[in-house]
Amino acid sequence: MTATATNTSVKPNRNTVRATQRRELLMLLGFLVVIWAVTTALSPRFLSPANLKDILIQAAPLGFVVIGQMIVIIVRGLDLSVASIMATVAVLSTSLIDVTPLIFAVGLLLGAMIGAVNGYLVAYRHVTPFLATLATMIVLQGIRFAYTGGAPGGSLPETFRFLATGSIFGIPVALIALTVTAFAMHWLLERTIFGRRLKLFGDSPEAAYMTGAPTKLLQVMAYVISGVMAALAGLFLVGYVGIVDNWTGRGYELDSIAAAVIGGAALSGGKGSVPGVLLAALILVSLFNIVVILGLSIELQLVIKGTLIILAAAVYMKQSQS
Amino acid sequence: MSTLVRATRAQPVHLVVLALIAIVFFVGITSSDRFATPLNIANVQDQMVALAIVALAQTIVILSGGIDLSFAGLLSFLAVVFAALAGDTAGTLLIAMAIVIALGIGIGAFNGAITAYIGVHPLITTLGTSTILAGCALLITRQPSGSVPLFFEDFTYGRLGILPYGMIAVIVLYLFVGFMLWRTTFGTRIYAIGDNEAAAAMSGLPVQRTKVAIYALSGLLCAVAAMYMTGRFGVGDPRAGVGFDLRSITPVIVGGTLLAGGKGGVLGTALAVILLALLANVLNFMNVSSFYQWIAEGLIIIAAVSFFAGRKGKS
Repeated sequence: MTATATNTSVKPNRNTVRATQRRELLMLLGFLVVIWAVTTALSPRFLSPANLKDILIQAAPLGFVVIGQMIVIIVRGLDLSVASIMATVAVLSTSLIDVTPLIFAVGLLLGAMIGAVNGYLVAYRHVTPFLATLATMIVLQGIRFAYTGGAPGGSLPETFRFLATGSIFGIPVALIALTVTAFAMHWLLERTIFGRRLKLFGDSPEAAYMTGAPTKLLQVMAYVISGVMAALAGLFLVGYVGIVDNWTGRGYELDSIAAAVIGGAALSGGKGSVPGVLLAALILVSLFNIVVILGLSIELQLVIKGTLIILAAAVYMKQSQS
Repeated sequence: MSTLVRATRAQPVHLVVLALIAIVFFVGITSSDRFATPLNIANVQDQMVALAIVALAQTIVILSGGIDLSFAGLLSFLAVVFAALAGDTAGTLLIAMAIVIALGIGIGAFNGAITAYIGVHPLITTLGTSTILAGCALLITRQPSGSVPLFFEDFTYGRLGILPYGMIAVIVLYLFVGFMLWRTTFGTRIYAIGDNEAAAAMSGLPVQRTKVAIYALSGLLCAVAAMYMTGRFGVGDPRAGVGFDLRSITPVIVGGTLLAGGKGGVLGTALAVILLALLANVLNFMNVSSFYQWIAEGLIIIAAVSFFAGRKGKS
């Protein structure tokens, strides 16, 4: 009961929440516009359609992962296994099958299953999300390397590569997939009972339980969604890179947590929006691109990223206190 | 006896870990003649020194209900700085040590301050500083560079019988921190904050100041680990700390300290570090690839936390 004892503030009504969300979105958008404008002023090459398209395609895998990560964070969880899921799904499904639709079907199923294991450990075994997903991450890493003997060698079918690098009417397929997914998840989160219950659980697990929501199932579903999103991201990423690697997606666990936090999700649960975290993902990927375009040393993006994480978290914290 | 139990915060689970250590040791003896040799035993100890020190730091932070993920960046950054400044005389070495220790304490205190005074989740704060410092380390040098005085390098390789000097330092540090947790006000406060932060604040404990001190101490221990690692490598590796953030957590958890804080102690961490180091050594002797060792490590974490789950009571 300690959680409720410390949380004595009265919940603002939904309109205030919406207003805060809108303000946060504008802040993120403003920041993105500023860094894009500054970069364009320094190097006009940045705003070329080809470069913008690059940024968007590179942001797509992180976009998938961060949506899943945010949903897990909303239910007071954390998913450290996303990068490991990305690589494991990519390695296993591309080496087992060479028909594109089947690769996706098997990959997503695999992601869902791993997510279900995470959710089971957290909801039913009461393992801290951090440890449950850390353990999954390490186990998957072992399975993946043992299976491939350290050197994966799957070849990708042509149609598979098209999905990740091709475009329809000039719009990259990966972006279309992300847009559709994002709208679906946004609708799920903001317009359905499932979404409300996720947020309610994040605000107060006890309250969610009292309203009769299946709280354990909710948690499991959150991790399943995160697993599926990571699987999608892994498949699109190997499709884009063209090579299946045991370390595919390395770093995405921390990047996705960073993007979720910068995008307004709070580790205390109950808070987060799809547009917010997608904007944050776009900001992170833009920064990487900007550092390259301006010819700065690549390590600088680590410094900027770390500073952003702390600053964003501090700003949101100050906001919620005032 | 009961005083000893209270001082060490011994738990029944420690007997399980001890039994596992005995089993692994037995398997080691039967699987290779070279296992129980002084050389190999010293080797196992060398392997665990750095991990033991950062796991000790992580234990203190986790006991207070926090978490410190800054080790990856912090170790790398301090290693690079140390090797850049250490030069080749005792004088420059001492200056470098002072600077690295001050940096460790300062960066730790920064983590603590952001967490305590602004209220940012420690996971986010330390993830942020880790990223920044990893970048700084690589900005200073992309390749391992710098050096330490030869006598310092020799010192980190030195041994007293079968006890490497590094191990002696580890034992001293564990005894020191163990005593601090047992007998000092600071130690009691760490447990109180980890057990129930709101209650600790209401009963008038200086929660925020204590948190700053906890993370500063974590940074200080990291500085020690970074200097030891640099001495062993002979150079400052800008990637020295990679992986230590998550690796430092496993022994704490396996040793019976709750991630939620308030319960556990350094004895469990010490035993778990020994168990993990022995296990890796024996599995190497048995030619088990590190791939399977990862699977084993993950399963050990799940087994350990499933075992402890619910001990704190479901609120």
